[in-house]
Amino acid sequence: MKYFLTLVLLLLLNSCASKPPIASEAQTWKGKGFTYYPAGQLKPSNSGDGRYGDNYIYAPNIRFPLAYAPAFINSQVYGIGGQFGPRGSLCDQRNYQYPWKDNYCEKRTRSMPLCPAGAGHQGVDIRARNCQNNKHYAVAVEEGVITYIGSYSVKLRGKTGRTYRYLHLNSRSIQVHRGQRVWRGQKIGLVSDNMGKTKTSIHLHFDIKQTIRMGNRSKSIYIPPYTSLVDAYKRLLKGKP
Amino acid sequence: MRLLIFSLFIVSALTAQSGILEIQWPKPNLQHQKPSTPYPAVLTKGIKNTKLPVYIPSSFAYDKNMAVVADQDFYTISFFLKGASIMITGDRTFQENVPSNDAQFQKMMKASPPVEFLYEEEIMSADFNRHGINYTLSIECDNPKKDKRCKEEGFVKSLYTKLIMVGGRP
Repeated sequence: MKYFLTLVLLLLLNSCASKPPIASEAQTWKGKGFTYYPAGQLKPSNSGDGRYGDNYIYAPNIRFPLAYAPAFINSQVYGIGGQFGPRGSLCDQRNYQYPWKDNYCEKRTRSMPLCPAGAGHQGVDIRARNCQNNKHYAVAVEEGVITYIGSYSVKLRGKTGRTYRYLHLNSRSIQVHRGQRVWRGQKIGLVSDNMGKTKTSIHLHFDIKQTIRMGNRSKSIYIPPYTSLVDAYKRLLKGKP
Repeated sequence: MRLLIFSLFIVSALTAQSGILEIQWPKPNLQHQKPSTPYPAVLTKGIKNTKLPVYIPSSFAYDKNMAVVADQDFYTISFFLKGASIMITGDRTFQENVPSNDAQFQKMMKASPPVEFLYEEEIMSADFNRHGINYTLSIECDNPKKDKRCKEEGFVKSLYTKLIMVGGRP
């Protein structure tokens, strides 16, 4: 009997540990009108192959990296006004609508072993609630320390050991300094079109890097952030970021 | 009671998603850490509690303008050039919440060479393992679309070949 109970317990625990927390959800969420396409389903379809079917939340319980909702995850390159997108303004209202569209692994030349093509976008692009430049704050997704501030990037190493990178913040708006301890939700800087001496569209590129153990060595990889952000955004919408 | 203890053990094993990597310290391990001229205080003070081998490019070892952020399990040191900045990170923490049955993960684990030069999101980097832990050396340019240091791997490669151990303690 004892062995039977142990077996049942083990099976139960194993199913709890391996089941992706949002796998059973459809593309909509009953709250505040938020809808999203599944992780890895890149839109438009010619924008690349994502990790479709991977609903694992790699960075559980992070805060959403923008201070306020609504925010919109979608492609800068293949969206309206983007380099390969339909003609129009980058500020077109249709770029500021749900559903969210995953763009991790979107076609790029960057090395990305986790993408089906072996190359692709290393994070996701997020638009704030509207197209205003230098208006919307990016915030710390977890407690940690600021390890790097470049001309258009900030890196936060969280207590979990993951490193979060925020790109395209207005360098003059940065609210933190190198080595500073920050708390979850603390302002980091304003979302802008800054990319050093060149410009990009007004958005936040957000990626997550973590180290995984591989036998007797380890490797640092950009993990898929989309599911973690969907999860974080739902908490933000519920008022419990 | 035994069942309860066993269950708690299983729960703790399943939730153990991160940890600290063992370091295979070189022997003799501190030979490279005693320079004839002492390194700048910003470096020695910054990494005094760091329990992993600290590598930096040799040409920047005496750069007093470097910025050091470190604790006992990781370090990040930045160096500032005209129009660019260099960063090197060593990290002995890891997370294990990745699906090991995933095809891309398995392929990556088989294929990873000891050092990879990667063109990342507007930066060029070298990702490598020493002593069982991961290091990343990267350069970010103010003008990433035009600056060759961020478009071609030659610059990062030259820095990588000149890395020296400047500290860290078992």
